[in-house]
Amino acid sequence: MRTYLTRRTLQLIPVIIGAMLIAFLILSLVSDPFAAMIENPKIKLADIARLKHQWGFDLPIYLRFFKWFGSVVVGNWGPSLLYPGYSAREVIFRALPITLQVMGLSFIFSILLSIPLGVISAVKQYSKTDYGLTFFSFFGMSMPTFWFGLMMMIVFSVWLKRPSGVPLLPPGSIQTPGIESAAFLPRVLDRVQYLIMPVIVLSLFSIGGWVRYMRSFMLEVLHQDYLRTARAKGLKERTVIYKHAFRNALIPIITLIALSFPGIVSGAALTEYVFNIPGMGHLVLSAELKNDFPTAMIALTLSTVLVVIANLLADIVYSIVDPRIRYS
Amino acid sequence: MANELTLEEKSKGKESYSYWGLVFKRLRKHSMAMIGFFMLIIIIVVVVLGPLVWRVSPTQQPEGMEDILLSPSAAHPFGTDEYGRDILARFLYGGRVSIFIGLMAAISSVFFGAVIGLTAGFFGGKIDAVLMRLVDIMLSIPIFPLLIALASVLGKGVWQIILVIVVFGWMGDARLVRSVVLSLKEEEFSEAAKAIGVSPLRIMFIHYLPNVMAPIIVSTTLGIGGAIIYEASISFLGFGVQAPLASWGNMLQHAQDYIFTHQLLVWYPGIAIFLTVLSFNFMGDGLRDAMDPRLYR
Repeated sequence: MRTYLTRRTLQLIPVIIGAMLIAFLILSLVSDPFAAMIENPKIKLADIARLKHQWGFDLPIYLRFFKWFGSVVVGNWGPSLLYPGYSAREVIFRALPITLQVMGLSFIFSILLSIPLGVISAVKQYSKTDYGLTFFSFFGMSMPTFWFGLMMMIVFSVWLKRPSGVPLLPPGSIQTPGIESAAFLPRVLDRVQYLIMPVIVLSLFSIGGWVRYMRSFMLEVLHQDYLRTARAKGLKERTVIYKHAFRNALIPIITLIALSFPGIVSGAALTEYVFNIPGMGHLVLSAELKNDFPTAMIALTLSTVLVVIANLLADIVYSIVDPRIRYS
Repeated sequence: MANELTLEEKSKGKESYSYWGLVFKRLRKHSMAMIGFFMLIIIIVVVVLGPLVWRVSPTQQPEGMEDILLSPSAAHPFGTDEYGRDILARFLYGGRVSIFIGLMAAISSVFFGAVIGLTAGFFGGKIDAVLMRLVDIMLSIPIFPLLIALASVLGKGVWQIILVIVVFGWMGDARLVRSVVLSLKEEEFSEAAKAIGVSPLRIMFIHYLPNVMAPIIVSTTLGIGGAIIYEASISFLGFGVQAPLASWGNMLQHAQDYIFTHQLLVWYPGIAIFLTVLSFNFMGDGLRDAMDPRLYR
């Protein structure tokens, strides 16, 4: 197991570097951070030339990549051009907790909801419940995330109002201005109001897919011979389903959940954009579109590392839940 | 591979069908697939023939401000948008563009992915290792931000959007096709073909390709929905299909500004996207069931 883990971890390094290289190439096509500077009369040409050299923009692109990569590894992440006066590191570590909050909540919410729903759907195959859940999951899979977000806003912020005339749920942002100084509980309650819609929007898509897959994995197991054996030796139906079938159906869903991680990161970008949440996704989008090359690259790198680690964790969990798998 | 009959079909003991005959027969009994199929036919007829019936220009902007953001009326059944353009006309032309992008992007992604997957699975060894690392890499990048970045560089035409979606859309299909090819290689017919000296290219295209057709068709059908959503998302952010050309995505580009005042602008294209994607997903699911008799136990 240990050798396997070491090997897997080492294999991640070329994947991360490759991913960075591709992101670097694409972003280099997009932005020339100096174009805006040249037009700005306050910045001297000599300074621009100095910065160009400092960031490696006087080098060919592949050398520039290695220069950038080297300085990132050393921990020098560069300045943020989007928020002048801040470093890319500061900007990112302000956005990261917000994204983790939104994503983490919707991740937990999706898992807690989709696994039981998938099991119910499979156990009661071809019942009304099954058809209802099937329709619900197709609804989730076919809905454009950003449009669903807009619809939620129309319902909960435009149509539904509190008696005081304030929208039932705030249509965007992450907290009421000035709440930072409040006590812990009101602060949490305030945050919850802002998170309800984005978390539901972000969860809907993954729940849709996962319910479908959980159902089909469960059906697959339900038709196995050992389930017939379990029933034949007189086990209760509950035991058969939850001890014998459910556990085995969980194994493939873990891989699936890990594989959908990048999708959640991407989905988060658009959801954050629609709800104007200052998280990582929003940051990457605005950074790459406003020529903030350093911030965009670091944010993409961190997201990639996150995804890669999630996949590794999935493999480890896989071996824990499925004792048949022996890594060597 | 999937030519065996389901139990129900065996018990009836009727005349034998070809594989595709069987698929078609099962598909007709799959109510969700049929609902999807008929919804699609309606949608396609509407967007293809609609502009021939409703002959209003989707791009013409009236002069003056009085025609802007009108409510639905006889002259404009869906109302007008922020530039005074007729929404019904934009809706019909936009549907053509969105569905075309979805179809082309999904077909090209699957084609490209299948070529990579076939190559990797068939040749194995170093070629396989390199191609699969590339897939790993592409699958671990957060796709959406880069999709937007590439779209902002490549330009805003229909074909550019298709290219962008393909660049980030082929990996799943490559993995899928590779895994099928790897399992086919272990089958006896492969060994037999090799033993009698069939050329590798012939094995690849005559023996393996038909066997991966079923998963490829399912993946394409499901991919169309995904591509339509991608187009909508890119255009929503303003990097997709550019005005004056309409697409369901770019009709939503300024929708967020109107959710408080003109919600109809948000409703029409969104519902159209949702229903179209839903139909393709229904069809894809039905096809998957129909092509894989093991699911029918």
